[in-house]
Amino acid sequence: METQPTTIELVQASLTRRRRKERFLKGFGLGAICFAFMMLAILIISLVASGHSAFVQTHVTFEVFVDPEEIREKRLPRGGFDDALTASLGRHLTGLDLSDRATKKQVEKILSNGAQFHLRDLVVADPSLIGQTIELTVPVSDPYDQLHKGGIDPETPEEHRRLNDQQIQMFHQLVDAGIVSKPLNWGLIANADSRFPELAGLKGALIGSAWALLVCFLISFPLGIGAAIYLEEFAPKNRFSNLIEVNINNLAAVPSVVFGLLALSVFIGWFGLPRSAPLVGGMTLALMTMPTIIIATRAALKSVPPSIREAALGLGASPQQTVFGHVLPLAMPGILTGTIIGLAQALGETAPLLLIGMNAFITSAPDGPLASATALPTQIFIWADSPERGFASRTSAAILVLLGFLITMNAIAIFLRNKFERKW
Amino acid sequence: MRMETINMDANIETSKQVETPKITARNVDVFYDDMQALHDVSVDIPDRMVTAFIGPSGCGKSTFLRCINRMNDTIPICRVSGDIILDGEDIYDPRIDPVQLRARVGMVFQKPNPFPKSIFDNVAYGPSIHGLARDKTELEEIVEKALRRAAIWDEVKDRLKTPGTGLSGGQQQRLCIARAIATRPEVLLMDEPCSALDPIATAQIEELIQDLSSRFSVVIVTHSMQQAARVSQRTAFFHLGHLVEFGNTDDIFTRPTDSRTEAYITGRIG
Repeated sequence: METQPTTIELVQASLTRRRRKERFLKGFGLGAICFAFMMLAILIISLVASGHSAFVQTHVTFEVFVDPEEIREKRLPRGGFDDALTASLGRHLTGLDLSDRATKKQVEKILSNGAQFHLRDLVVADPSLIGQTIELTVPVSDPYDQLHKGGIDPETPEEHRRLNDQQIQMFHQLVDAGIVSKPLNWGLIANADSRFPELAGLKGALIGSAWALLVCFLISFPLGIGAAIYLEEFAPKNRFSNLIEVNINNLAAVPSVVFGLLALSVFIGWFGLPRSAPLVGGMTLALMTMPTIIIATRAALKSVPPSIREAALGLGASPQQTVFGHVLPLAMPGILTGTIIGLAQALGETAPLLLIGMNAFITSAPDGPLASATALPTQIFIWADSPERGFASRTSAAILVLLGFLITMNAIAIFLRNKFERKW
Repeated sequence: MRMETINMDANIETSKQVETPKITARNVDVFYDDMQALHDVSVDIPDRMVTAFIGPSGCGKSTFLRCINRMNDTIPICRVSGDIILDGEDIYDPRIDPVQLRARVGMVFQKPNPFPKSIFDNVAYGPSIHGLARDKTELEEIVEKALRRAAIWDEVKDRLKTPGTGLSGGQQQRLCIARAIATRPEVLLMDEPCSALDPIATAQIEELIQDLSSRFSVVIVTHSMQQAARVSQRTAFFHLGHLVEFGNTDDIFTRPTDSRTEAYITGRIG
C-alpha cells in the first residue's frame, strides 16, 4: 500500500516552486531598475560629454587703444570700434599686413561680433576713455572657441574645416602670447539669446520660464485646491460628480499640444493677449497643471483619517472650519508634493509653448509677464535647430540646466513632504 | 408625525412624576440606503445619570448614539425618521443647526482621536470656535478646568505645548474627554470609549464617567456588560436594530423581562 505524503513533504515540494517564482520576481524587478539607471546614466553622460564645453568660453584679454582718430566723442555711439579692436589685437600678431582689408577682416573675425558692442557700451558710459588704453576681456568667435576646445582637428584637410591654416596659425600666436583664457561661461546664464553662439545665453529663457511658472502656480494652485476641496469634502456623490471626476482624470491625460491649440485660439485669439508672452504661457501651463493638482489634492485629503473630521465635527466645528482648520493642514505635504511635481512637469513642457509663439528669437530678457520671451524647453528647441557648432554644446548645456532645475524642484518636494509630514 | 407628538407629550407627562428626561426619543427609524438599521426606537434618557447602551455588534447602538448629536448627517446615505427631543426641542427640526447642537451634545469616540496639535490647543479648540472665552486668561482657565475634570491635569500640566498625539492611549482618551467637556455640553455621548484601552486606563475612565454624571447626562455605548453594570444607572439593550429592553441597570442585570436580554447577559447570544 502506498503511503500518503505528509503535509511537510507536500509543503517542501511546493516550496521549491514558490522560491523559484520569488527569485524570478526579484530578479525581474532588479533588472528593470538596473535598466532604468543605465538609461539615465547614458542620458546624463552623453549630455555632459557634449555639453560640458559650453560651461567654459574662450576669451582673449588684450590692451585696447581707444583711438581718438576712429572714435570721436561727437559721433558716439557710432564709431570705428571694430577697427580699434582689430588694430589693438593685431599688435599681438606678426607677419600680417593690417592695411590689407582681407587680412584685417580675418583678424576682426577672431573676436566675437559682440566684442565691438561691449567696447562701445564701455565708451558710451565713460567717454573719457577715448584716447586711453584699456584692458579688455572679450569672447572669441565660435570657430576659434571650438578650435581652442579641441572641436576642430588641424589634421583634417583644409577645405573641410571652418578655419584655414593661416587662421589657426594666427590663433596659436595669441595662445603663445598668453592672452587666451577659458574662464567659466557666466554668459550662459547672464546673456539673453543671440545669433552668435559664443554670446547666446539662457537669461531670457530662465526669466521667461520663471514668469510662466509663477503665473501657472498663481492660477492652478488656488483653483486646483478649491476644486479638490469641493469635490472631496462638499460635493454630493452622484452621477454628475462622478462625471466630473472622470473628466478631470481625462484632462490630466490630454496631449499638451491640444492645450496649446486651445490657448492659441482662446487666450490669443479671443482675449487678444500678446503672442510669446509668459503670461499666456503660464495660463496654458496652468490648464495642464490643474488636473494634476486636483488629483494630488484629492488623494491627500482622502488620506487624512476620518477620525480627525469626526473629532472636529463632534466638537461643533462647521464643515468649513473642519476642512480649513484640520483636514487641509494635514493634507498640505501631499498637496505641496503634487503641486511641485505638476510645476516640474510644466517647466519641461514644450509643445503648448511652441504653439503660442514662445519659440521666437528674442535677444533681450523679458521685463514683465507681457513681454515676449522664450522658456527653457523652447530655448533648447531653438538652439537644437541652429546650425552653428557652438549651439550643439549649448543645447546640451541648456538641457543640463533644465534638468538641474527639475531635480531641485523634486528635491524641494521631497524636503517639504518630510518636513511637514505629521503622525496622527 | 403630529399625532405622535401629542402621544409623546402624554408620555412625558406620565414620566414626569419620576423625573424629567433630558432626551426623549420616539419612534426613531434609521436607514442606510434601503437597509433599516434601527426599528422604532423610543427611549427616555435621564439627566445627570449614566445611561448605557449594550448589545451585540451591529445591533444599532452606535447608530442610535450618533443620532443624538446628528453625526449621522455626515453619512450621505443615512436617513433618520421619528423624533429626538432634547430639552423640549426636536433636534431634527430644520431650524436646528447641527453645529449648535454638537456644542450642546459632546462626543467621545471609540478610538482616541486627538488633533495633531498641542495638548492645550486640543482642549482650547472647542471653546475658541464657539467663543466661550473672552480673552487668553479665561481660555487658559477653561482648559485647566477641563483637564482637571478629565483627571489628566497632573500628568500634562508641565507639557501643555507638546503634541497631544504623543500621549499614551489612556491619556489620549482622557484628553479627548477633556476636549469634549471644555465646550460645557449638556450631554456627553461616549462610543465605546474604553475599547482601545488597557484595564488600568479603563478603570480611570470609568471613575471619570461616574464623576461627570453629576454634571452632565452621559450616554455610553459599551461592549462590556461589566462596565455597563459598574458605571450606569440606566441600561438599554439593543438587538438586531430593536430596543429590546430599557430600565434601571440593576433590574436589567438581575431581573430582565425579555428572554433575549436574559440570553445576552448570560452569554448565550452576542
